[in-house]
Amino acid sequence: MHLHIPDGVLPVRLWLPGLALALVLLAWAARYAARGRQAVAYQGALGALALAAMALEIPLGPLEYHLTLIGPLGVLLGPAAAFVAVFIVNAILALLGHGGLTVVGLNALVLGAGAALARPTYRALAGRMTPAAAFATATVVAQAVSGALWLALVTYALRLPARAPDAGGFGAGFGAPGARVGLVAGLAFPMALVGIAAEAAVAYGIARFLGRVRPDLLPAPAAAVAGARGGAGPAPEGRPA
Amino acid sequence: MIEVLTRIDLLASSGATPWHRASALGKLGLALLLILLAVSVPGLRALAALYAIAWLLALTSRLPARLVLAASGYPIAFSLLFVVGRWDGTWRTPLMLVLRPLAASLVAVWLVGTTPYPDLFAPLSRVLPRGVADGLFLTYRALFELLERVERLWSALRLRGGTSGPPRRRLTAAGEGLGTLVLYGFERSQRLYAVMQLRGHSGRVCGCRHYAEASAADAWVALAALAAAAAALTLWRAG
Repeated sequence: MHLHIPDGVLPVRLWLPGLALALVLLAWAARYAARGRQAVAYQGALGALALAAMALEIPLGPLEYHLTLIGPLGVLLGPAAAFVAVFIVNAILALLGHGGLTVVGLNALVLGAGAALARPTYRALAGRMTPAAAFATATVVAQAVSGALWLALVTYALRLPARAPDAGGFGAGFGAPGARVGLVAGLAFPMALVGIAAEAAVAYGIARFLGRVRPDLLPAPAAAVAGARGGAGPAPEGRPA
Repeated sequence: MIEVLTRIDLLASSGATPWHRASALGKLGLALLLILLAVSVPGLRALAALYAIAWLLALTSRLPARLVLAASGYPIAFSLLFVVGRWDGTWRTPLMLVLRPLAASLVAVWLVGTTPYPDLFAPLSRVLPRGVADGLFLTYRALFELLERVERLWSALRLRGGTSGPPRRRLTAAGEGLGTLVLYGFERSQRLYAVMQLRGHSGRVCGCRHYAEASAADAWVALAALAAAAAALTLWRAG
């Protein structure tokens, strides 16, 4: 199961503003995120790992689950660098026919919103629980936010009128007031829950390993960061804090 | 997916059809035109014509049909979700919902199957912020190395019983395995950074410049663009 929306199922009035917003955020994130070539290389390596992990088919009963790793990306890279990495991952996937080129902005916003929340969540929790548990919880938050946004987007698209008053086919949606939104949500919700549980367990394993061999790659808890810097502002992103 | 990705990348570099010889910029323009037309035409016949043109492009590129089907068939699962949600008792709506993403993904697969990635990313890197453009190259470059490692990791997990037992244990074991790859990615980024410094990297990864060099093969690209535009305009609302 992937969250990537393909071309042609959403009307232009949804994907065009989504693309514009994603590009604005991307320009900002690229400025704020990776300062330095090593940080860009690390961001590239983690983006590639997320792509490679998506190729894995993890058998979960009758389902085969494909990981997205947005939680680990978000915690390890930070909000801005994670958004850049997620956008790149979506662009490469769209070029390979997975997801769509016109909806690359919306897909990046949906997954990037979850990834952006992962590090703040981790930082807030890391002082109160083990790093692995905080990492897994941050992943749960990231997946839940992305899943909720995805469902909201699909629901909205299904409820749009079938033919919009604006121009020709460009504004046309496929939705209708009588669309079976409940049925779609009923199909998607259990899969989303399976996804959250799977991603959290994988994230727990990643953090447990990193905690043992390279704890410096995990971000410091919020209290430790504030104490160390004396309120000097946030750490540069795209590299371990 | 791993095999599909690897084969597409190989075919993009080793193919010798006119589509492979045409400029990346021209093909990018044709792909964008086809995708924009596919997602916007209201008529089923126009959409079917665009889908047929996309298949013609893919088959004349000598991309194996099974590979093209495997790579471009991904959107079906998601489209079916919309078909279920928007079932109105007609065939037209489900066909439109399935054909639009299929046509778009087929065009995308044709594009990456005929264009080596440095040529494809070079024009994109001119319009993207520097960090994003560099990230695009570095991510794709790291991808195949990590795909191999992920495959080996998965085989090792299977052989050592990491894929048996309760799901939580299996997934945590997979996570620990992926943790080794996070570590590898970090160390790789340090090595790559050192290599970039040694080679006098200017601070920007640039693709080669022949992405915009037009050749006689670009006439085919222009012809395909004309055919697509004519088909879409003629059949805009038909069916």
